[in-house]
Amino acid sequence: MLPGLDRRFEAVIFDWDGTAVPDRQASAGRLRAVVERLCELGFDLAVVSGTHVGNVDSQLRARPGGPGRLHLLLNRGSEVFVVDEAGPRLTYRREATPEEDAALTAAAELVAARLAERGLRTEIVSARLNRRKIDLIPEPAWADPLKARIAELLVAVEARLSRAGLAGLREAVELAQTAAEEAGLADPRVTSDVKHVEIGLTDKSDSARWILRDLWARGIGPGLVLVAGDEMGSLGGLAGSDSFLLVSEAARATAVSVGVEPGGVPEGVLALGDGPPAFLGLLRDQLRRREGLELPRVDEAPGWTLSVEGLDPHLERVHEALLTLADGRIGTSGIPVAAHPAITPGVLAAGVYAGEGAGTQLLPCPIWNLLPCEVEASGGLRRVLDLRTGVQRQELELSAGPLSGLLFSSLARPGTAVLRACGPGTVPDGDSRLVPPPGGPETEVGETDGRRWMRVAASSPGVVAAVGERRTEGSSDGMLERLTTYLPGPTRAPSPRVARRRLGDAEKQGFDRLLVEQRRAWAERWEAADIVIEGDPELQLAVRLALFHLMASAATSGEAAVGARGLTGPGYRGHVFWDADVFVLPFLAATHPPAARAMLEYRFRRLDAARGAAQAAGKEGARFPWESAGSGFDVTPSSALDRTGRLSPILTGALEEHVTADVAWAVACYAAWTGDRRFASGPGRELLVETARYWASRIRLDGDGRGHIDGVIGPDEYHEEVDDNAFTNVMARWNLRRAAEATAGASADEEERRRWLELADGLVDGYDSATGLYEQFAGFFALEPLVIQEVAPKRPIAAEALLGRDRVSSAQVVKQADVLMLHQLVPDEVVPGSLVPNLLFYEPRTAHGSSLSPGVHAALFARAGRLDRALELLRLTSRIDLDDLTGTTAGGLHLAAMGSLWQALVFGFLGLRPDGRLLRLDPLLPEEWRSLEARVRFRGRRIRIRVARGSVSVFAEAPVGVGVGDALAAAGPSGAGFRLRSGGWEAVSG
Amino acid sequence: MTKVIAAIDSSAAARPVLAAAAAIGGLLDAEVEALHVREDGDRAPRAQAQAAGLSLRTIAGPTVAGIVRAARPEDVVAVVLGARGTPGGRRPAGRTALEVITALGKPLVIVPPSAARPDRLLRILVPLDGTKETAEALQGTITLARGRELEVVVLHVHDEASLPPFEDQPQHETETWAREFLARHCPCPPEELRLELRIGSPPDYVVRVAREADVDLVALGWSQDLSPGRAAVVRATLARSPVPVLLIPSRRR
Repeated sequence: MLPGLDRRFEAVIFDWDGTAVPDRQASAGRLRAVVERLCELGFDLAVVSGTHVGNVDSQLRARPGGPGRLHLLLNRGSEVFVVDEAGPRLTYRREATPEEDAALTAAAELVAARLAERGLRTEIVSARLNRRKIDLIPEPAWADPLKARIAELLVAVEARLSRAGLAGLREAVELAQTAAEEAGLADPRVTSDVKHVEIGLTDKSDSARWILRDLWARGIGPGLVLVAGDEMGSLGGLAGSDSFLLVSEAARATAVSVGVEPGGVPEGVLALGDGPPAFLGLLRDQLRRREGLELPRVDEAPGWTLSVEGLDPHLERVHEALLTLADGRIGTSGIPVAAHPAITPGVLAAGVYAGEGAGTQLLPCPIWNLLPCEVEASGGLRRVLDLRTGVQRQELELSAGPLSGLLFSSLARPGTAVLRACGPGTVPDGDSRLVPPPGGPETEVGETDGRRWMRVAASSPGVVAAVGERRTEGSSDGMLERLTTYLPGPTRAPSPRVARRRLGDAEKQGFDRLLVEQRRAWAERWEAADIVIEGDPELQLAVRLALFHLMASAATSGEAAVGARGLTGPGYRGHVFWDADVFVLPFLAATHPPAARAMLEYRFRRLDAARGAAQAAGKEGARFPWESAGSGFDVTPSSALDRTGRLSPILTGALEEHVTADVAWAVACYAAWTGDRRFASGPGRELLVETARYWASRIRLDGDGRGHIDGVIGPDEYHEEVDDNAFTNVMARWNLRRAAEATAGASADEEERRRWLELADGLVDGYDSATGLYEQFAGFFALEPLVIQEVAPKRPIAAEALLGRDRVSSAQVVKQADVLMLHQLVPDEVVPGSLVPNLLFYEPRTAHGSSLSPGVHAALFARAGRLDRALELLRLTSRIDLDDLTGTTAGGLHLAAMGSLWQALVFGFLGLRPDGRLLRLDPLLPEEWRSLEARVRFRGRRIRIRVARGSVSVFAEAPVGVGVGDALAAAGPSGAGFRLRSGGWEAVSG
Repeated sequence: MTKVIAAIDSSAAARPVLAAAAAIGGLLDAEVEALHVREDGDRAPRAQAQAAGLSLRTIAGPTVAGIVRAARPEDVVAVVLGARGTPGGRRPAGRTALEVITALGKPLVIVPPSAARPDRLLRILVPLDGTKETAEALQGTITLARGRELEVVVLHVHDEASLPPFEDQPQHETETWAREFLARHCPCPPEELRLELRIGSPPDYVVRVAREADVDLVALGWSQDLSPGRAAVVRATLARSPVPVLLIPSRRR
């Protein structure tokens, strides 16, 4: 096989006449068999031709069952059919307007007339869909020329044209181009297959773009695609008809010509020659590779892959966290598949905790991604994580030889892990097994229906994993395929039999189908979640990495306990903080609501525990814990050794009560993005009511009837046990008002509602209208006026650790956004215009000692129009894990910071927020970026927003109202546009 | 059989040197040889060695060159000698000690005159500054100590530059950070080690933690460079340590 073709592809886009078949009469039986089998193994095929479906389908007659798809992209770019067991089905057709149709006919007649003026007889042979064909050589000898005779045909046509005084085929095409424009066609596509010159509305480039887009939307990038034709090179001074397949989007695809190519092939196109037999050989080779279980590749598309070269013992665990594979249910550290002393194998199951109280932690699970071989100290290692598909490919140099592996944690079947490895080191003697979790609890192993399983903790909570393997051993290479299914039992003992049954389901699918599912599932998630930043490739990759891990960390059904590090590491013991409700959930609510809903379900199912906590404190309603795990009771440690070596009391569990309002805020955030009425009137309302009841019982009324909340910790944890923390009070006020609104007209106690509203109105918030400032808590302004920006060499800085707890608590040094968090979460609950004065006052006093801080401030600086500082903080946020700025990335990724990165881009730079049924934007673009594009899902519709300098475009699956500044428009599939004029934004048509 | 040389003079400081050498010999599974570089007779050292149950090898001076020469053979794995300095003085270790530690590229144990004389080592303090060089220099010591079931107390003193800029929730952050620090810099599982963290000036804290943790030995990796502004921790520890100090030259100088 020609170098460049001796590899596995995932799809082929190919021309029909001359490439797949020699002529329309030839039998395509052998081709059909290969096509159907390839589809069965997950391979995609796309026929591109100028002819119509009857011609191609009657010749090919393939009826593939999938999962790979067969597309027919016909009528020179105007139609797309997908073919399944029932035959071809039209999925797209370019419909010409009557005006366009008339212009096509006029153009063809004009060409024929102008050639006739020169004495050349031509025929308008057909009026095809969206085009007209003019036969330049209407002679019986050339009625239906074979492709193999194209060079002779060219000579004959050019001789004929020459007799009419035309310089050649090129001039005939130019003549047609001019005629088409004169006939009023805006974007005519003039092509020639030598015999004809064709004027159309579309050409093969439209087909190529359509199918590449479709493949991309199913997780198959151009780097995995083969493009085949027989007319890639120029002919008669014109670009070959198949060169239209080589669109810019196909730049990373492999292109091959099997044609005669008298003028040679363009640079980068492989010349195979030998016509349809060679093409059939190519397909058979692909079939052989799939049946031989060759390892698939990943498409290393710029901005989409994270690659780690070598094994640096110092940074290995950081890399493993960054390379984590997760599916919302289980997360697996991105270790190499071969052992090394520096690696930390780890598999975690969401929501499955072991231990008691503060010691509660995620239960370590059996390891599936380790083979019984070792990485050599000096051996090569390369790991590439494809963020687009959640697939990781590894290349290792072992003492036995090279080893390659492909791994994924199935997003389509959460709890299913897939590994295929090839190489002589893959098939060691004896059985490979699941590896017990290092340092973990006792495991038991067994076998059910011929498959091994391993269970961690036989009673609840526990996890059982069932594993199946198959191996081949060739003359030089060996292959191992391992499927593992995990069954978490957060509340009851997991059954090996159920895990075995799920394994059986996965095995029935097989590796290739599981891979197809995986690619499609991830690509689908990205369709409603991607962010594109033109002009900053480094930030682009960092943002995608963040979104990838945010998506991978939350289940989409049942309940989702999203710990501070998600499923990317054991840090923070998997405990769930406000990080989940306020930083992670908004991204999911706006991109994949089922995951946000599952996160709320986690809170809802722990409402009784929260009620118990309120009752224990002598209050009403529900009080959510600062740190939550399985039971819903508070699991915050009461003390911890700090970096000075002292045992310090930890008061957050007792005093950081704003988490209760944060849970309520998450309810409202989800409802605003989704419009999910069933939730809003059910669990959502109950959560709002119970949290409001807590605040109502928590507020102390003074003699003047003003309400106070004493003795709390706000987000600024440098100051403990403070009274009237602005953030806590305003969030409580918002919570009370929101609960009153949610219960208006419902069966709630009207008196209780009225009381909530009275309490809300009377609750002090520390706002001073003279200065425009909110006082962070009672007495904050009287503290030592230490401006950390002026005394610290650089920020962020862990001020408490450096200056000491006492010094910091007695000064105006703020850990992270506290007052300003209100402007981020509840901008309608603060005084209009108060952002800028509070930002200018508090930010210089903020150490940014929490990883949650820079992202929030990036969003707020963007809102305040200070794009330079916003961008600086945005970039800082994007590097927290990539550069291990905390020294703790090894313990897992900072999911909340990743969530804040998305919020800074979407809430901050785009100024995007739901407003009832309207989606509002107020975009600001830094000079460094050419454009910013975001995809979200609003009230069930997928929305794409693109902001360039002075313009906004919004596309929606179904009509949705969009407001940019004061301008309003309805966006649908064809989009709505806005332009920035001197007077502000205005809607433009088209 | 490998050898530990206990370099002694005629003073009373020879006694703790011999005791430390015996403990180090036990740790390294090496025999101990007492060495005296004669400048003014060897009666006292011979008596000290005899009391310690060791034979004495006497060679002719000058002292520093003599010790270095005697330590050069491959079978000599460490040299133990007395500090003989005035604690807190400008030259806390004696002239001989300072010259030997910069001249000899082997592990050296400097024993303060007032050091206790334990029969065997139980606990060792290993300060790590977070650099690869120091960690590499001390890896062998940590492995050896763990192999002999000594408790290894690792000390890291943060300064302004090394303190991570973020500390989200200290009750989790320090634990996670500490685990990774040990994983990066130590050759054995983090759970086998005890980590002490401090914030401030490392020279101040090494001796303080050595006392607090009641260790028998402080092990320091160093570059053998005593030029101004360098080796502040080594200088301070030699000046004030109540226990012997093991100096291990790092590979890069």
